[in-house]
Amino acid sequence: MTQSRWARRAATDAAMTWLCGLAVAVTLVPLVSLLWMVVARGASALSWSFLTSLPKPVGEVGGGVGNGIIGSALLLGLAATIGLPVGIGAGLFLAARGDGTAGRTVRFLAEILAGVPSVVAGLAVYALLVRPMHRFSALAGSLALAILMVPMLARGTEETVRMVPRDLFEASLGLGVAEWKSGLLIVARTAAGGITTAVCLALARAAGETAPLLFTALGNQFWNLRPDQPTASLPVLIFNYAVSPYPDWQKQAWGAALLLLVLVGVLNAAARLATRGRFAGGGR
Amino acid sequence: MRRLLVCLAIAACTRTPLPSRAVPAAPSATPTLVNGAGSTFVFPLLSKVFSDYVRVDPRVRFNYQSIGSGAGIRQITDRTVDFGASDAPLTDEQLAKAPDILHLPIVLGAVAVAYNLPSKPALRLTPDLLAGLYLGEITRWNDPRIAAVNPGVSLPSLPVAVIHRADGSGTTAIFTDYLAKVSPTWAQKVRHGTAVRWPVGIGGKGNEGVAGQLMSLPGAVGYVELAYAVQNKLPVASLANRAGEWIAPSVASTTAAATGAAASMPDDLRVSVTDPPGVGAYPIAGFTDILVFRGQTDPVKGPALARFLWWEIHDGQREAEPLLYAPLPPAVVAKVAVKIRSITLAGKPILVGQPE
Repeated sequence: MTQSRWARRAATDAAMTWLCGLAVAVTLVPLVSLLWMVVARGASALSWSFLTSLPKPVGEVGGGVGNGIIGSALLLGLAATIGLPVGIGAGLFLAARGDGTAGRTVRFLAEILAGVPSVVAGLAVYALLVRPMHRFSALAGSLALAILMVPMLARGTEETVRMVPRDLFEASLGLGVAEWKSGLLIVARTAAGGITTAVCLALARAAGETAPLLFTALGNQFWNLRPDQPTASLPVLIFNYAVSPYPDWQKQAWGAALLLLVLVGVLNAAARLATRGRFAGGGR
Repeated sequence: MRRLLVCLAIAACTRTPLPSRAVPAAPSATPTLVNGAGSTFVFPLLSKVFSDYVRVDPRVRFNYQSIGSGAGIRQITDRTVDFGASDAPLTDEQLAKAPDILHLPIVLGAVAVAYNLPSKPALRLTPDLLAGLYLGEITRWNDPRIAAVNPGVSLPSLPVAVIHRADGSGTTAIFTDYLAKVSPTWAQKVRHGTAVRWPVGIGGKGNEGVAGQLMSLPGAVGYVELAYAVQNKLPVASLANRAGEWIAPSVASTTAAATGAAASMPDDLRVSVTDPPGVGAYPIAGFTDILVFRGQTDPVKGPALARFLWWEIHDGQREAEPLLYAPLPPAVVAKVAVKIRSITLAGKPILVGQPE
């Protein structure tokens, strides 16, 4: 009697463990196969000239994605310049004053913005900036990316800052430190690890966006570092090369995808690193 | 805070291997960027031409993005680019919105009917068969109507997968212009233009996309600019022309299609050369036009553009044939030259005293 009950429990346990293992495997298969595919196909495209040269004319073998690498760096740099102050600022505001009417309004708007499909952000920038200025530009592209980053930053910042014990803030106030100084130097600084995570994740998200760049940054087969000129980017290059009929371009698309994957991986790893021991005092 | 900096520093390091060594020795001033967008039909040629033109005029770089003729027309009309490229002339309606736009033909191209059949047979197609395929009336490759004009060819029992363009396309405009001329059913049901309501088929983005789908889908039939078919080793159909010959797309047969077009070219140079009467003429061909505003405003870009166009219709023509585009007939060159001379900067003609 007891023995059969034990056996049944053991069998159930084994079966459930096995099923959980299966679920893990099913989850991992697409991820691992995707990584494997990108690495396997992309690695062969990587070379010094792939990283540093400009694309060849259509149908010719060779050339590289140097313009896309520089373009993506330019776009992300500008997007961070525009997006970080706004997004982190909004997050700090929400954490400090988020319960009033203004705070609720801002949070509501940020949530709506977070739900906006990225292609719509691109369209909006096209209508607001590209058409009136009569030019496609890196600035327009990075503005579209910044629009996508702001809600992520605001939410991430607010959540981390809210986790900082109120006591710290009050202790600072009690010592006679001004409110804004306490907020910035005590609370925000304590939450720096979490904010950094939000920054890295937002950058990683922006780095992989294609749709908002198509009709804002357009593309450029030459080097460009000017914010007021059209510029290439890795995601748009991948998009164009992947649908092309040329085997060499398809190979380069895989290579560029690998670069993008490495970039996003590094940003995510940096985000992890930054959150380790979140409240151990990120500033010391 | 330090972590934030570390994170940004890591991010910065991974993203910016600055290409200081790879940048070609730049002339003292940064070259001016002239931006254009449009036709994918002419992209293989233009990307070669612009890559070579750097040596002719190192002061300028022509950045060309192949987003489709439809989008090219839209962007030049909105003045978001400095020039557009289209294989379909602007419609009267489009021209009314931007009456100052010039059509400057730079080259002729053939729209090849390419297919993906396992044995790569050389096929012949009549206008009716082509319309039948794209109307969805012929659904298998071994249809007796196809077999009737292809004696001795073993046709596979594959379903026909029709591929067309998904974006606004000048290639589509040339192709449907032809079908509307040769098939009353087509003219009535589908009509012609840069984007039409396709009865059957799946869409591809750009000539690149259609060629890509053709290569990956057995049984597929699609229309692409000849260079895309040849570069990708896709077999192309010989078509029956008005003179009753079977003609494969080639530089010679495309040139033949344009002969006679020069004489009947209207003053604004908007012309269709599909289904021409001439002997040896391939029936689905067309001019690609560069679209620019007659009145240029940028003191650097305007002259650069005019100089490039002048070079393109003269010296630049020799780039066409190796890529299977047909150079302009001399009579057309003369007409385009007059148009290029009419481009002005602040009201004054740009190319004064330019050698003929």
